[in-house]
Amino acid sequence: MVATEQGLQTLVHETGGWVASQLEACTRCGMCAEACHFYQATGNPEYAPVWKVEVLRRAYEQRFTPVGRFKSLIGLEKKITDQDLEHWSKLNYYACTVCNKCALVCPMGIDLGSLLHGVRAGLSAAGVVPDELMAAVNKQVEEGSPLGMTDEVWDSRLEWVADEWEEDIPRDVKGADTLVVFSSIEVMKFPTNIAAIAKILNAAGEKWTVSSKAREVVNFGFYEGSEEHTKLFLSRILEGARDLGVKRIVVTECGHAYDALRWHAANWLPEANDFEIIHITGVLGELVSSGRIQLKPGFFDDKGTLTFHDACKIQRKGGHIQEPRDILNILAPNAFKEMTPNREEAICCGGGGGVIAIKDADPIRYAAFELKIDQVNKVGAKTVTMTCSNCRLQFTNSVEHFGLDWKITSLVQMVADAMID
Amino acid sequence: MSKETIEEHLKKQGLTRRDFLKLSGMLAVAAGFKFDVPEATAGGAVARRARGYSADRRVLKAMETRPRVPVIWLEFSDCAGCTEAISRSNSPTLGNLVLNTLTIEYHETLSAAAGFQAEQAKQDAMAKYAGQYILVVEGAIPVAEGGIHCTIGGRTALDILKEAAAGAAAIIATGNCAAYGGLPRAKPNPTDAKGVWELVTDKPVVNIPGCPAIPEATTGTIAHFVLFGALPELDALGRPKPFYGVTVHDRCLRRPFYEAGKFAGSYDDEGARKGWCLYKLGCKGPTTYNACASIKWDSGLSFPIQSGHPCLGCSEPNFWDGGGFYQGQSAPLERPEVTAVAAAAAVGAAAGVGTALINRSNKKAHGGEK
Amino acid sequence: MTWQSALEFARGPLFYGALLFFIAGMLYRLVTVVALGWSKDRVPDKGSKAGGVVRSFLKGILIWPFIPWVKNTFSRNPLIYIGGGLFHLGLFVTILLGTPHMLVWKSLLGFGWPTLPLPVVDWLAVGGIIGMLILLVHRRINPVLRLISGPAEYLAWLVVFVPMVTGYMMTHHLFFRYEVLYTFHMFSVDFLLIWIPLSRISHFMFYFFSRAIHGQQFGKRGVRV
Repeated sequence: MVATEQGLQTLVHETGGWVASQLEACTRCGMCAEACHFYQATGNPEYAPVWKVEVLRRAYEQRFTPVGRFKSLIGLEKKITDQDLEHWSKLNYYACTVCNKCALVCPMGIDLGSLLHGVRAGLSAAGVVPDELMAAVNKQVEEGSPLGMTDEVWDSRLEWVADEWEEDIPRDVKGADTLVVFSSIEVMKFPTNIAAIAKILNAAGEKWTVSSKAREVVNFGFYEGSEEHTKLFLSRILEGARDLGVKRIVVTECGHAYDALRWHAANWLPEANDFEIIHITGVLGELVSSGRIQLKPGFFDDKGTLTFHDACKIQRKGGHIQEPRDILNILAPNAFKEMTPNREEAICCGGGGGVIAIKDADPIRYAAFELKIDQVNKVGAKTVTMTCSNCRLQFTNSVEHFGLDWKITSLVQMVADAMID
Repeated sequence: MSKETIEEHLKKQGLTRRDFLKLSGMLAVAAGFKFDVPEATAGGAVARRARGYSADRRVLKAMETRPRVPVIWLEFSDCAGCTEAISRSNSPTLGNLVLNTLTIEYHETLSAAAGFQAEQAKQDAMAKYAGQYILVVEGAIPVAEGGIHCTIGGRTALDILKEAAAGAAAIIATGNCAAYGGLPRAKPNPTDAKGVWELVTDKPVVNIPGCPAIPEATTGTIAHFVLFGALPELDALGRPKPFYGVTVHDRCLRRPFYEAGKFAGSYDDEGARKGWCLYKLGCKGPTTYNACASIKWDSGLSFPIQSGHPCLGCSEPNFWDGGGFYQGQSAPLERPEVTAVAAAAAVGAAAGVGTALINRSNKKAHGGEK
Repeated sequence: MTWQSALEFARGPLFYGALLFFIAGMLYRLVTVVALGWSKDRVPDKGSKAGGVVRSFLKGILIWPFIPWVKNTFSRNPLIYIGGGLFHLGLFVTILLGTPHMLVWKSLLGFGWPTLPLPVVDWLAVGGIIGMLILLVHRRINPVLRLISGPAEYLAWLVVFVPMVTGYMMTHHLFFRYEVLYTFHMFSVDFLLIWIPLSRISHFMFYFFSRAIHGQQFGKRGVRV
């Protein structure tokens, strides 16, 4: 009960005018449910975004509004209990990727993603975060990475990548312009991404570096919703950047990390504004449009139909919607086909928001991925590319689960492969 | 008490049989009867009978057999406008015959006698026809300060009314003043004017509201009682249904324009010239029950809406205070003053700030602001 | 007590009181929400916040409600778009461009404006009423809406529906006498005015907040709203 109280207090604390005005705007029309891939996939009404934020709304109403106080006084509205929070923990961590598609269909324009993040803050303060997710957070606190990428692992993996693909990876270079921060998913599972990014930046003549201090861009504290942990992980990156005196920080193919660093860090840690923070997709767009790297036109045209998966945090919430398309239209003007819906209205992969880290959420996660299978099959693509390693992890995992013969790749990979040396 | 029948009385007045038949028909119409006109066939074709010959036989029979019923007409806080309307109405046969020739025993405005003479005549009539006569009242009865605001011959209106009502067979309140208090009762109603039916509760009172009352409604109701010894069916406001059964709006000649949404926006715009609906100019037709639009005035020549003026709702209680005459009927009766709105806003804002302060301290206790 | 006097009460003192309560209540709601505090956004923009807000409102008010099929979700749940769209269109046209309602505004504000012909308003009002019925049925059959709907939601529906139906019946002189319907219409409107600040019907005020926030959030990220 103490923990629950703490959780509610955090919810109350989260509720500024910004949140309150949006909670008040809700007409309870239920339209947001139709945007949610988890609801679409399972038909469980509890997965409606409006219901996921219900606990926040109740906390707000009972603490801040006379109507709510009156209602809870006469027992019309029940107090929020431990069981409630545990229940909403499952709804929010198992069945929500905070992809914010619901915000697009809301007739009132409520930014549900932010509210859902607020709910997570309360749940995390109440200590009801699913064990596996919490374990990963704790691992990141202690070891610096949720995937166990300790100093030694980091060293050996980078050395191996540099050797294997014969790319120079500058490390801890003081005075470099650009700090590139990889995600441990890339380092541990998609090392080709690292080689690809190194190849591109070297070819473009970029003065770049990686930092052994700021080596992990993944932020499980952000998944958890804990301000304290999020800030801790962000500050590690910013400290590393400051030590090296770089001008900009490039986030590699990791969605939520970009969301946290680009769109939230400055509000918690003002020093984030000392750096330009940009996603690698934005960098690619710049390099290609300015001609600093040259691509072989139509390089992927003869390799079967190709489609692009929009990641919620990089495209819908990050704004890098046009760059991948410009690049793909050079690389595969004929083979590249769009899924519907696409761009900012794309359907989420179903693995983000920490969902993929929770074993118990697997059935829901795979159910949501079936929507993606439908979409891809409709365009008849055999290759799916994307700009987010978390999506890519969900894709490779699910492709294996469903036994599909798709090739899953990333945009940096394709660019690196199709570059004119 | 006169055993003389109406027909006998009229014969003495020099009315021919033909005139008598015409009068019967007119009365039947006035009293609101429906007619079943038997069809006459001539040469195989259906011929419709001329209107004058379709008088209801019941009316004729009543006229031949019913005794003449006297009327005593009193005026209190009034303008004599209802009397004026009746005496000037262009249906002389009806108005004059029913009121002057046929029945009237006492009428303050029309009486030739004056002063004590007139008073005496009234006392005589009341004594002679006790329990038989119809009492017609015109004007409101002010009851404030013992009723001193309207006295006749040193007696208050209330006193006179009670006395006259005691011996009446039926009471008819003509005009909005007598019926519901009318103009004298308008806010702030300094004399505490009241309608007859609020003061006389032990006798049937028929209200013929209007400003003035439509003469045919008054005479028709009297005729009804005279002919059948009973009052017509009344609505909840004590008005005879034959005349007050439908709204002015229901029978209005401008109604099609209302349905089509064509409204005059001012008294001299294109819509006004084309005869469009006067709703926007404040017409109260939709909630006003009266026969203006069907009986009309001056022998059916016209009525206010026809001549371009919105209905004021003069047959309804409190019509003086029922919103501006020229303000659309849908408009609220009172417009909140800017000060009232500001006060409400201030109260709301102050309460809001109060709650906000509580909420803020609530939040501060929970670890600062976000 | 006659219908006339009941009507006078509903049009007079009760409306007056309800209107003042509405003003006080809405301001109360506004102040409490605004005073909860607004954190400053220190994150540098990628796109234009202001542009996003403008687009958000244009789309929200002008385009989106009227061409629902531009959204993918329409095909998944057309009832709520049709019901909601019909209802709001009918409601706003009736209370702003219906002659009797314009006269209410005129008497309150001191100025009026041209109105639409009755038959046009009338059909839209029918659409609004049908929209409301669709929304009610939908609320009963949709699993999500069943989950999130309590007495407050149904009461809010009723409070909005009664003025609409009585208003329509009044215009057409259906079943009851005009002043009876008018009385019911006014009482229900008075209750609506009182109920708005106490319920979610007040969403129309917070709509401007949430739409602006939506525009800012998508605008600053350079994403099409």
